[in-house]
Amino acid sequence: MSEARFRLRVTYQKVGPLRFLSHLETARACERAVRRAGLPYAVTRGFNPHMRIAFGPALPVGTAGLGEMYDVWLSDFVPPDDVLERLSSVTREELRTVACRYVELKAPSLAAAAEVAHYEVMVSGPPGVARTLAEGLGTLSKSGTLTVEHKGKQKVFELANALLKEPVAREVDGGAVVEIATRMSERGSLRPDALVRAALGPALEAVASVSVTRTRLAARAADGTEEAL
Amino acid sequence: MSEAVREAVARLLPRVEQPSRYVDCEWNAVDARAARASYRAAIAYPDVYDVGMANQAIQILYAALNAVDGVSCERVFVPWKDMADALRDAGVPLYALESHDPVREFDMVGITLPHELAYTNVLELLDLAGIPIRAADRGESDPLVVGGGPCAYNPEPVAAFFDAVLVGDGEEAVVEIVETHRRCKEAGLTRSETLAELARVRGVYVPALGARRVVKRTISDLGAFTSPTCPVVPYTDVVHDRVAIEVLRGCARGCRFCQAGMIYRPVRERSADDIIRDAMTALRCTGYDEVSLTSLSTADHSAFVEVLRRLGRRLSGTDVSISVPSLRADALTPDVARLLGDVKRTGLTLAPEAGTQRLRDVINKNVTEEGLLDTVARAFASGWRRVKLYFMIGLPTETDEDVVGIAELVERVLLAARDVVPPNERGSVRVAVSVSTFVPKPHTPFQWEAQPPLAEVRRRQELLRQRMPKKGVELSYHDAETSFVEAVLARGGREVADAIEEAWRRGARFDAWTQEFSLERWRLAFETAGVDASSIANRPRDPFEPLPWSHISSGVSEAFLRAERSRAYARQTTPDCTFEGCTGCGVCGALGVSNVVAGGVRV
Repeated sequence: MSEARFRLRVTYQKVGPLRFLSHLETARACERAVRRAGLPYAVTRGFNPHMRIAFGPALPVGTAGLGEMYDVWLSDFVPPDDVLERLSSVTREELRTVACRYVELKAPSLAAAAEVAHYEVMVSGPPGVARTLAEGLGTLSKSGTLTVEHKGKQKVFELANALLKEPVAREVDGGAVVEIATRMSERGSLRPDALVRAALGPALEAVASVSVTRTRLAARAADGTEEAL
Repeated sequence: MSEAVREAVARLLPRVEQPSRYVDCEWNAVDARAARASYRAAIAYPDVYDVGMANQAIQILYAALNAVDGVSCERVFVPWKDMADALRDAGVPLYALESHDPVREFDMVGITLPHELAYTNVLELLDLAGIPIRAADRGESDPLVVGGGPCAYNPEPVAAFFDAVLVGDGEEAVVEIVETHRRCKEAGLTRSETLAELARVRGVYVPALGARRVVKRTISDLGAFTSPTCPVVPYTDVVHDRVAIEVLRGCARGCRFCQAGMIYRPVRERSADDIIRDAMTALRCTGYDEVSLTSLSTADHSAFVEVLRRLGRRLSGTDVSISVPSLRADALTPDVARLLGDVKRTGLTLAPEAGTQRLRDVINKNVTEEGLLDTVARAFASGWRRVKLYFMIGLPTETDEDVVGIAELVERVLLAARDVVPPNERGSVRVAVSVSTFVPKPHTPFQWEAQPPLAEVRRRQELLRQRMPKKGVELSYHDAETSFVEAVLARGGREVADAIEEAWRRGARFDAWTQEFSLERWRLAFETAGVDASSIANRPRDPFEPLPWSHISSGVSEAFLRAERSRAYARQTTPDCTFEGCTGCGVCGALGVSNVVAGGVRV
């Protein structure tokens, strides 16, 4: 009854107040949505059976996501549009399912395949903050490295390696938006807000808020170009 | 206003622990923007979100009030210290989760009183909301502050903080309170006129009108109210993160120290069909992977085995498990052990409470050593490797022999368990022993008894520690200091309110969290307020002296409590009236109710 015969890849958003959920909390919420939707999910064998589900790379608490993903294994085929409708009817808008499709049973795990993350960082600040940012990003790029302190440990990122391309800052109403694409690796990936804070330098004082959204995740093909997951 | 609060809160969240406690947007929560009604109620639990969301009363009252036309109900919890301080610093008032509107803008704030150590959190909650903490200081524009829950049975220590207190079951009464209040508002009545109207709702105590007699509210049939089938599903990892179906209310076993066993009478069982229906509906509506059959003693349900079997069948092959939070020692029959083992092996908890048969007879805990050892043997033979045993120290008539008896009983439990376990697994046998301190509670046969002084409790704990077997035993004590304060707050009168306020002003909050509790702070508070704490907790009362809660009736007659006290001293036990004849507690006559036994017969 609960054999894993199909592997469904679900893309969802995590926005608004729910950006403050931890990875574990989000995962639990997605599992519950799958149960509420009544999907024929596969269950692991064993003494303590549980849903076969696997999540993409974690989002830090406070970071929003527009294209987060999980894979859930099903025992029966349900048309993707039906899945989308059923999941949407049992989740809050802030965690809405935006797409689903089937992937190969043998496809690499999301955690391993997702190598690229695109971010938008909104910086609310005084006029001119976009220019300060652009200059700061330029200086950082020239220096080639960024040292980040996390939980008392220092970590040095080679920017050419950590970033997929040069970050772009543009002016918007009330501040600036920076587009950043990072490479994810097992040794950790650069947090885009760390890059932005470093680029702002002393100008950070005048900034009201820095809010980060991961807009999409992607894989990399053998030739280095991006590929949808 | 709410958008401003929402934005201010979003700025604070990156800096606090577990921000998901404060964000709302849970599944099954009402959409406050769509549901904004002319009458707005807030239901509050005086502890942090992750504790409060496990409370079933909150979910029951939330569903009941939101079902009333023209009424919307939201939830409020006490922010943890970091968030409370951040809200104060930022000048953001405490808000209701769904709308983020300030609590002080609501018409009514209902606060459940789950235990005495939550009292300082009631003040913290009111203060964060910007509502005057004393009822006497509230004006026409302040919300009506209503209390309820187990502590309502001695409301006097917190009487000064509440406009009204509901004694008893809330399902019907809370709706009547809201409707009465709404009518008064529409009629333009003043606050004091409104209070006089509220005092006419059965079960409602209005402290401002003096110590008037109040008889508790009771719903006669649990089946008339479904268990909440679409409860709010938290994101935060809450204390009991699962569907909870209340399978019965009340317990007639008659343990003489137990307040719940007296105040929730009579026994009202939900039918097996209703339990299965509510459990399946709630699982579908929440997506939980666990359903818990809750009550004071779930195995007492006359259809317990049938329910386990039917629910187990419905859930077989899924990843959804069934749990039973508290099992009576004699309830683990081979059938039950197999049924529970099939589903999910949760912890096995047994409560002999006392170490000797003499003392178990005194407290009317109808557990025999033979029965306990049989149960343990059965459990370990069917795969359990750990059992948790609850005991109490300081019970009336307790001697050192009884204290040592606990250690000896644990030793025999260990032997019984190891005896039935394969030799290579004997090392994994664990007995967790949890020892609490006796707190004399109002409305029990032991309400007149003294709690032994702190030094004496500590001596007995030490004696037990020395005699307790070490290997395979995990011994833990419930902090004796908190039990002392609990006894003062449980048995005190109106004079205790000053001490509660003083303790809170000195920084007391989250007293139920061991690391937050300070006896020193409470001692200073009692002293400053002129409250003789020791004479409240440690002095035996004369069975005929008036008590601070004498005007509150649970339906159990004082004569019955006195008779039970005499029987305790005579070592006479009293049977459970759902198995044998009426024991004359007086509830059925006083309230016009009777025991509701779903399966007809109890075994």
